[in-house]
Parts: sequence; structure tokens; C-alpha cells
Amino acid sequence: MAAHRIALPLGAAVLVTLSLAGCRRELPAGSTGTQETTATATAAATAAPPPATAAPPAPAQPAIVLSPAIPGDLTFGGVGTLAGLQKDFDILSWNSFISLNWPPDANGVGDPAKKIGQDGDNPAVWEDFANVDAVFLPDGSTPEWGASGEIPPACKSLYKPGMKVLKQVGKTPTVLTANSQPFNTGPLIDQNGVYTRFEIVINKPMFDYIVANNLYSKAGQQAFTQPADFPCGSNPGPGNNGAEGAIMVKSAWMVIDAAQKGRFHSSEALVYSPPSENPKVPASCSMQTVGLVGLHIAHKTDSASQWVWSTFEHIDNAPTEEDVKSGKLEKSYNYYDPSCPADKCPPNQVPPRPWIPSQVSSYHSQVVRIFSYRGNEFAPESAAARNADARPLLASVNPKSVWTNYELISTQWPTNPGSNCAEKPGDQLGHPAPIFLANATLETYIQGMVPNVSSSCIECHNNAATTSGKPSDFTYVLQRAQ
Amino acid sequence: MPNDDIQDFAAMSAALTGFQLEFLKPALDTTNLSQAYFDYATKATQNEQATVQTLLTAYRAISTQPPQQIADTLLETAGQFPSPQALLAESITKLWYTGSWYPPGSVVMSEVVSSLAYTNGLAWQVMQSHPMGYSPFSFGYWANEPGPLSQFGVDTGSSTGAK
Amino acid sequence: MSANQPQYDFVIIGAGVSGNLIAWQLGLAGKKVLILEAGPAVPDNRGQYMENFYTSLAKTPESPYPPLPGNGSTRPLFPLPDPGEEAAPRFTVLQIGKGPDQSYMIQESVPAKAPDGNGLRGLPFSSTFERIGGGTAWHWLGTSLRLVPHDLTMQTTYGVAQDWPVPYDELELLYGKAEAAIGVAASVAEQAPLQQAIGLRYPPGYEYPMPPIPMSIVDETVSKGIAGLTVSVDAPQDPTAYPVFVSPTPAGRNSIPNYQERRQCAGNTNCIPICPIQAKWDPTVTLNQALDTGNVTVQYQTVAVNVAVDANGNVTGIDYLQWSRDAQTGVLSSTPGSVSANGFALCAHAIENVKLLLMSNGRQGVANSSDQVGRNLMDHVLYLSWAMAEQPVWGYRGPLATSGIESLRDGAFRKFRSAFRLEIGNEGWNFPKGDPYTTLNDFISGTNDSALNPDGQRLGGLALATKLNELYTHQFRIAALLDQMPQPDNRVTLHPYYIDGLGLPRPHVEYGLDDYTLDGFLAAKEVCTAIYEKMGAKEYTEYPNAAAGDFFYKGVKYHLYGAGHIMGTHRMGIDPKTSVVNGAQRSHDCANLWITGSGSFPTVGTANPTLTIVALAFKTAQDILSTLT
Repeated sequence: MAAHRIALPLGAAVLVTLSLAGCRRELPAGSTGTQETTATATAAATAAPPPATAAPPAPAQPAIVLSPAIPGDLTFGGVGTLAGLQKDFDILSWNSFISLNWPPDANGVGDPAKKIGQDGDNPAVWEDFANVDAVFLPDGSTPEWGASGEIPPACKSLYKPGMKVLKQVGKTPTVLTANSQPFNTGPLIDQNGVYTRFEIVINKPMFDYIVANNLYSKAGQQAFTQPADFPCGSNPGPGNNGAEGAIMVKSAWMVIDAAQKGRFHSSEALVYSPPSENPKVPASCSMQTVGLVGLHIAHKTDSASQWVWSTFEHIDNAPTEEDVKSGKLEKSYNYYDPSCPADKCPPNQVPPRPWIPSQVSSYHSQVVRIFSYRGNEFAPESAAARNADARPLLASVNPKSVWTNYELISTQWPTNPGSNCAEKPGDQLGHPAPIFLANATLETYIQGMVPNVSSSCIECHNNAATTSGKPSDFTYVLQRAQ
Repeated sequence: MPNDDIQDFAAMSAALTGFQLEFLKPALDTTNLSQAYFDYATKATQNEQATVQTLLTAYRAISTQPPQQIADTLLETAGQFPSPQALLAESITKLWYTGSWYPPGSVVMSEVVSSLAYTNGLAWQVMQSHPMGYSPFSFGYWANEPGPLSQFGVDTGSSTGAK
Repeated sequence: MSANQPQYDFVIIGAGVSGNLIAWQLGLAGKKVLILEAGPAVPDNRGQYMENFYTSLAKTPESPYPPLPGNGSTRPLFPLPDPGEEAAPRFTVLQIGKGPDQSYMIQESVPAKAPDGNGLRGLPFSSTFERIGGGTAWHWLGTSLRLVPHDLTMQTTYGVAQDWPVPYDELELLYGKAEAAIGVAASVAEQAPLQQAIGLRYPPGYEYPMPPIPMSIVDETVSKGIAGLTVSVDAPQDPTAYPVFVSPTPAGRNSIPNYQERRQCAGNTNCIPICPIQAKWDPTVTLNQALDTGNVTVQYQTVAVNVAVDANGNVTGIDYLQWSRDAQTGVLSSTPGSVSANGFALCAHAIENVKLLLMSNGRQGVANSSDQVGRNLMDHVLYLSWAMAEQPVWGYRGPLATSGIESLRDGAFRKFRSAFRLEIGNEGWNFPKGDPYTTLNDFISGTNDSALNPDGQRLGGLALATKLNELYTHQFRIAALLDQMPQPDNRVTLHPYYIDGLGLPRPHVEYGLDDYTLDGFLAAKEVCTAIYEKMGAKEYTEYPNAAAGDFFYKGVKYHLYGAGHIMGTHRMGIDPKTSVVNGAQRSHDCANLWITGSGSFPTVGTANPTLTIVALAFKTAQDILSTLT
């Protein structure tokens, strides 16, 4: 590898131009920092006009905005340090969260006539993306965008088109085998003894790449001789509209009752538990109200050929290690019982086997969030600051917006990504910052700071392969092909 | 000033090890090993005659020389009986290569600084591979030749003074 | 728990390779099983084990696993923890050659000619084991070779040692089940040349569960370099010219993603002591499958101390001590308990099985009418050689070993000297010389512990980097795994006075090698040298320093390494007078007692034992089920 470059995406000068273009979508030129309410923006625009001299306009800083436009790539804020870039990537994460959770129009695109959370809750753009079950069909046949995928027999009597069907139990479920952890990841069991469910969806550009290259079947993957290379997102520039790039979203859902709906983005869903031989259990399916507790957004962009990894949690999920030590605990959590002492409820312990998701378990996961910010100590600061910007912004649409109950944990990004979308440097991990990152609902049992074992999005996903064992460009979805 | 110390320590280490400064201390430094190793070596030699500060002083006097010359001078490679200061330079070289401390004059490891230090040891780069127990590569890579040495951070091209 | 109403159908001692396999099979059949495991529980993730490894001063096979040497953050290696203070001490590589204050097993390490003139006595047994949930095979390499037919008929075919009481036709089918249970990556077609060479055979149409692991550059270089080589090191006694060729090694590691929901191998080059990503199968996988049945319970930190038998020789229960260590004070305490069941299996590996049997029944011993319990202790003793290749081979990459030379594992010479397989290492000189550390120190400090710095050069900067690159990238090693003969005087007994932290006697080991085996060393040495010569590599095999395990034979200095394969101490056979268990690993003396693992092997052949242990465990599970109503 050539001398280890400062990994400014696409070169600082170009990015300043791009950021101007990007910001101009929302902010009047010259305004900086967080976008407050529309009223404030208007006020800024009618403030003193720029001076009459020929000085170039100050570049608009990247900011968290209420917009349905899915950002194509990072907007560089001009400070090329770990702290500065972490801030920019965290802003990207929030803008992705907002645009992906925007209410969709009839075509599945964020509806500019609406605002996220204006009615409290709303269906999300990403919920119209293709569920991996609908992409990797049992007979390896060609998937169709918008199709529902195979409905398990146990759910058939309950199913109506458009319903959400949640089939995944752990990140390494018994039937759908997307393993990504050294040990079989344990299931996450809530305070009512009910298993948490997971769902993985991919956007149209990612879907289109899979279909165009026949990667939806084992046979197709066998015939595909080069490494997978998903399309990269980019911001609009002179003469082009930019590109969305490949995006995958993984969500974690907790079964809730009607009274809890105001506090969660929720959905009615068919919760399916697959049959298994060992343990011997039949399939089951029931209609439940489920609330979103965790959200991973992975996005491949021009400045990140190792993808950008954003992760969000519901604010009630779990206390941090600090909270537990200091005794500053809330009355209740989604995944922690404050009244249970550590010797009776050891934290982050994998539930005992056998795991039977169709049954209520006597074991409840006692989750504590462990901050593992080795590699970028600015990461937690930055996430907290972005949360302090974003959540009031969402509340400004509607104080009862369910979307105000989510927080960014952090964003993992490659500091040395490689010079363009396809190419990876000799160290193909790209030196991610922060080195470790975990979502307490999705990587509950591998939080920590041990290299090669503790949760690190890029490090783990680097090992992802197709069913024929070839590198699959940081996604485990391809190994679901049949 | 503390900042100069770390930057100079890193530049000196680059010369001692034969690796690129940008590899040991990139602009976006997620491992911060320069700081960790500076602190470790300083603490380990605080009661010794030769300390990190005395070594840095010697380095600064010759820092504009070509890196190979700096290395040979500080390590006293021409001689057979290196001074305590040269022995410290040896320990710092070994520290970067292994992530472990070898007390000056000893060939026996006394401590692994950390798991992060181990997985960033230069010995694994210099052999065009990866640390045993930490592979960033994909299945089957071992059937193919590795990339060139320069790709692994070694300063194969530079003949100018330290950066 | 009353002895009259067992809660469990079956009790297993040891949560390792065979114990977990049997528990899984019994659990699937609806039987209630209790596993007693001496050591601590399987952790929720391998982070602590990996951290132990990364920060260990010596990356030995035991380095990730408790109990660790030293204490506190600096963890100096020595002195090792006193086994007299440990609840579940075990034998480790760092203990070899140490006295009873540090070594769990008490044995000599200064060899001398055997009094009867046959070989040497007083050699240190050099293979080690773990006592933790998951057992010793946490750190197996993954090599999944089948024994060949003649390995089971050494007496009939070659007039030495014993035959196995299991026909090869049966074992061949059991191997298929074992390969599926572990997940072995190989291709029958690639193994085909070994059919003629050593009689390896598969059922028609058999295919391995996963495609083969690609060979390394080291493998390819050796393979090309020895093309056409034959050796006849045993002439004139055996004048045959044996072909020497490289074969890829079937391995229990994922060559594709997702077998058993585990990751695909990423070539971490760390199989021993631990695969960071569990691409390599280990017994915790099978343990999880056992727990999934809902019929298996594991009780950790529980050391069995007595196998209780009644007047008819039936086992009625197991007495044990469940131990714990106070987190604050470090004080060890234990609580006695007992459990009864309809049947029992000792799966605690070849040393601890013996210790338990000999301790039982007031130290009169159980299941030992043959007096063979503890006898015939065997290993695959290792002859290690190393060299510098003519061109770069780029070691330290890929799994620790991906190929070997298997073509010398059988032949007429087995009448008079040990056969061996050759394992080609992918880790440079890590094993023989502790590289990259040794050569690094040599060229910085001017020493010559690697033998690569005879001029005592001291280097720095790019000169150091390029010199190291040049040397590391040419390093490789070949190890011969020798088929050690069983000898009744190679035995494990209870030491009369050394005890562990629970007050239990520690193993006393008496060990040596006979001329048959030592002549195998000689042959291995000649073959390795012939290989290096043929491929133009410069050999560096030499043991200049004094270390426990050194010995001389016919004027040549060797060093004894163990392959990590502890075998023979409760061997199987047809005759209850000369064997402990039958072909199903059931005790001849006690109808409801099975004693399993590599301790059951009457001879050791030259295949790494784990696959055979799993295969036999399937047979044992079937036998157990036939007795449980």
C-alpha cells in the first residue's frame, strides 16, 4: 500500500463542493450547524445578506435535517480528524435514519408531502425494501421486487398481502442461517420471557445487483467467478444526481402491548417460529404487535468501500455499565430488570439451551450496554451530541413522534477505505473507527474490546462469503441462497 | 512539549523499524500505539540511566539524516557492545515489532503491552502476513502470493530524511 | 438423590470430544443425561480466552485456558501455579521438565538406557490436556485423518503389538458419521493416490461434507520439489522404494460458510491454541447440540472422585466434589455430592480416566481386573525438522497445516520400526524456534538462537526489515508423527503423596520409548533430510541447547516433542485379561460402565486421534442405548 493516506473521502476540495450541493437541498446558503425549525431557517435566510465582496461563500456544514432524501454519501465538514469525521459520519447516520424512516409514497419513496412522525408513528421507507426471505427463495427462483416471499404454512391462514412476517429469531436462526458470530449467537429474551425477532431487508440497488448477477441462487453464485461488488452511493455533483448505493437494514423487534405503542415505532406482524428437529418443536405463527428496539443501517458509499455502519437503539433498552455502577437506573427497561441483583441476573449472559422461541421463557436477558470505544474516543461524545440535535428536531414535527425515542449508538467507518468504490487497500478492513461497535439488542453477547472476537461491524462482515465460499462484499445475505 | 515528544517518538520509531511513519502513526490513528508505546517505555525506564527522553534528545540531534543512518546510529549497529541508550533503542524496535516489551539488553519478553499491541506487531507485516490469531484476509488467501512488502507498511522507497 | 431412584438415565464424566458426542446421541434418543465437568463452564464468547492468548508470554496450546500462569496484569510465566493448590489442575507444555511444585504430573525427564536394553526410560511424556467445558479439543489442529486398515491389525499383519477389536469395515462407516458431526472439508478424489500407497479406502460414492481446503504455497513448493522422490531407508530389511508425495489434509474446519452455522476459515493461523472465529469445529458445538435436545444437563466445576460399585461389579453411582473459589479471598472450597443412574461413561481423557478408576473403591481400583488401567501410555511422538526453502514460501499464512505426506504411513517396515506421517507446517519456524520472536531478537541484539545469525549481526531500519522478510518468508518445518509402540511399563499410577487442591492424588508417569519407536525417529530423520535435499532446501534441524526431552539414540541427538495425543491407558481388546474395554468401549468388568476416548486405543497408528475418537463415540452411544430401556 502506498504511504498511508489521510483518508479524506474523495479529497477535501471535491467534498466541499459536494457538501455545498448536498446542503443546498435543505439549507439556505450560509447557514451552519443544526437545522432548527423551518421558522428559524427562514429567519436565518432573511438575516443580513452576504457581503458584496467577491469572497467565496462559506461552505455549508453538514447537518441533521428533516428530509426524505436518502443521503448518497458522507458530507465532509472540513475537519479531517477522527473527531471531525466521526461527527460527519454520525450526521450521515441520523440523516439516513430520518430519510429511511420517512413515510413512503405509493412508489416506496419518501413522501415530500409528509413529515416523519407527523402523526406520531408512520410506516417507514425501509419497510418497503425487499425482505431477504423474498430474495433468496427456496427453489432459487428469480425474485421480484415487491413480492412477499414464501409464507410459512403455519402463517398462511393468518396472512394478508402487505403484512410483516417476522421469521428470524436470533441473528443465527435455526432455519435461516445468517451466522455472523464466533459462537451461535444467543436469542434476546425480553422481560416477559418473549423472544426478540429480527428482520433483514435490502434496498433496490442492492436487490438489482443480486438479480443482475444471478446471486439469488446457489447455482448462480457458483457461476459467479469474481468477488461481489455492490454499487456505491454518492452525493449529487456537477452533472449527476448521485446514487443511492447498496443499503441493508436489520431491525430488532420486541413484542409489545397496545399501551406501549406510543413509545415505539410499531407494526402488526406475523411472528413465526420455525419447526426444528433438535430441539423437537413444531412451527407456530401468531399475530402480534411488535415495537422496534434496534436498527442497523449498512450503506456502501464511494467514501467507504467497507460500507458505513450506523446503529440505533430504543432509548429504553438497557442501562450502561456506568449507570449500573453508579446506581443511576430508570424504573424499567426493555431488557434489564433494575431490581434483580447481579448474582441472580448476571448481565449479558447467553440464555440456557434449548432455545424455543414459540414458548415463553423463564429466562430473561439482563442486558447492559458496554461502551467499547477503543479506536475513537470521540465516538460516544459525538453520538451524544448528534442525539441532542436530532431528537428535538424530530420532536419539532410532533412532540409525540415515536421517532424521538431512538438514539444513535455510533457509526463505524473506514479511516483508510481505498481510493475508489471497488478497490480495497492491502489491509482490506480499512482501519475502522471506532475499532469496536455493538448494538445491545443485536450483538448482545459479544460486546467488548477483544480483537477478532468482540463486535466490530467491519471486522466481522469482512468474513462474509457466498454459498460457494467467495468473498461477498461485507454482506451475509448472500449465504442464504438456496 | 508533549505533542513533539509523541511525534518525534513516532518518527524515530519509523527510522528504527524501517517502516513508514504514516503506517506507525497515520493521520487518522485508531490505535494510538505511538502514545501507548511512548508511555510504556518511559515508565519501564524511569529509573534507568538511558530513558526515552535521553534517546529522543539523541534522535533530535540527527533527525534530518536518512532513516537508515538514524537507525544505525541510535542502535550502534556497527559496534559489538551497545551502550545503554542503544539497548533502549533495541527495546523500542522490538516493542514495535512484537507489541511486547523486552527489557534493554534482554532477549526474553517480559510483558505483552496489550492485545491491540499484539495484533499490530510489525513482525507479521514484515513477513507479508498477519498476526497469528488475527487474519483480516479471506478464505483461500494462503494459496496466493501476498502483496509486495511496501503494501505492508515497510518504507522501501524513501531515502530522504525523517518526516 | 437416592441411589434407588436415579434422576438420570446416564451420567457422563467429562464435557469433551467423546462425552459431548455421547450425550448428544443419548439426548436425541430421549435419555436424561448428566455431564459432570471438572473445570469451569464454556464461556458465552471466546473473548476472554482470546485475550488470554493475545497477552500470553508464551503462545503454548494451553495459553488461552484456565488456570493461567501467574496472576495480575503482568502475568509472568513462572513460577507456574502450584498444582497442589488447584482444583482442576492439568498438564501443560510449560510444565514439561518441571518438578512437582509446578508440574501436575510427576515424572522423570532425564533419559537413561532401559535396564533390559530395549530403548530408553525416563523420558518426559510431552503431550498435554485441558480440564474445562469443551475439553482438550478446544486446541486440536483440525486434522481429520482416518486410520488405515493395517493400523487396526498390527499383530496379524506385522506381528507386533495388538489388533483392534473393531473391524475396519465398521470403522469406515463410523468415520462417515464422525465427518458429518465435525464437518470435515476434503475430497475423496484428492485422497485417491493413498489407496494404493497405504490402503486408505472409502465406501463407494462417499463424499465429504465440505469441499477441500486449498493447499498453501508451502505445500505446493514441497510437492513440486519432491516430485518423483522415493525412499528406501529400511534397506536391506525392507528394500521397497516408497513414494514420497504430498496429500491435502482432510480438516474439521469450514471451507464454506455456515456449516453448523459457523464461519468460513479466514486463515488465522492459530488453530492451536484457539480459532478466534470458530471456523474450526470444537466440542462445544456438539455440547450445544446435546443441550438443544432438552435432555442433557452439565454440572461444572465438579470433579468425580469415586466410581461406586456393588458386589456384582455394577456401577451404582459417582461421588464427586463440586468446587468453587471465593472471588475476594481466592480460597478454594468444595462440597461433596453423588449421583446415580443406570449407566456411566468416563470421558475425561486418558490421564484423568485412569486416575478416577485407580482412586475408586477405596483405592482398590475399578474395572481393572486386567491390570491394564494406566498401562501402555502412548503418544504420537514427534520428530521435528526445519529448513529454509530455496525460494519464498510465505509461511505464517493459512491454517496451521493444510497438507502432509501420508504415503509412508504403512509398509513392511512396520515389522521392525514405527511408521509415521509427515505434517507440513504453514507457520514458518514458529514451532521449532519460537519465531518470529527468536530471529527478530537475534538480528536486533546480535544473538544467534535461530542459527540464522552466525555472524552476530545487529541491524536496524530498512536493513533489519528486509533481512527479516527474506528469512521469515523462506522458513518452513516438517514434523513426523510416529506410531509409538505400546509398552506396559509406560504407565500412569497414583502418586503416593503428591495431591491437588482438592486432596486428590496426582498422576505419576513412567515413560520411555523402545527401539522400535526410536528406530522410527531415525527413519523419520533420514526421510526429512532426503526431502529437503531433493527440493533444494537448506536444513537447520539441530538441538544445540539442553532441554528436558533431549535424548541420544545411536549417536544422534534428538528432542522429544508430543503431538498432543494421549492414548492407550485403558485399551480395548477382545480378551478381558489383557484389555480394559471391548470394541464399544464398554468395560469388561462392569456391564454398565464405558470408558471412552483415545485412552481406548490399543495401538495408535499414524492418524491424529480426534476423528477416531468421534467415530468410536458413535459406536459407544449405540451400545449404551442398547442397554437403556
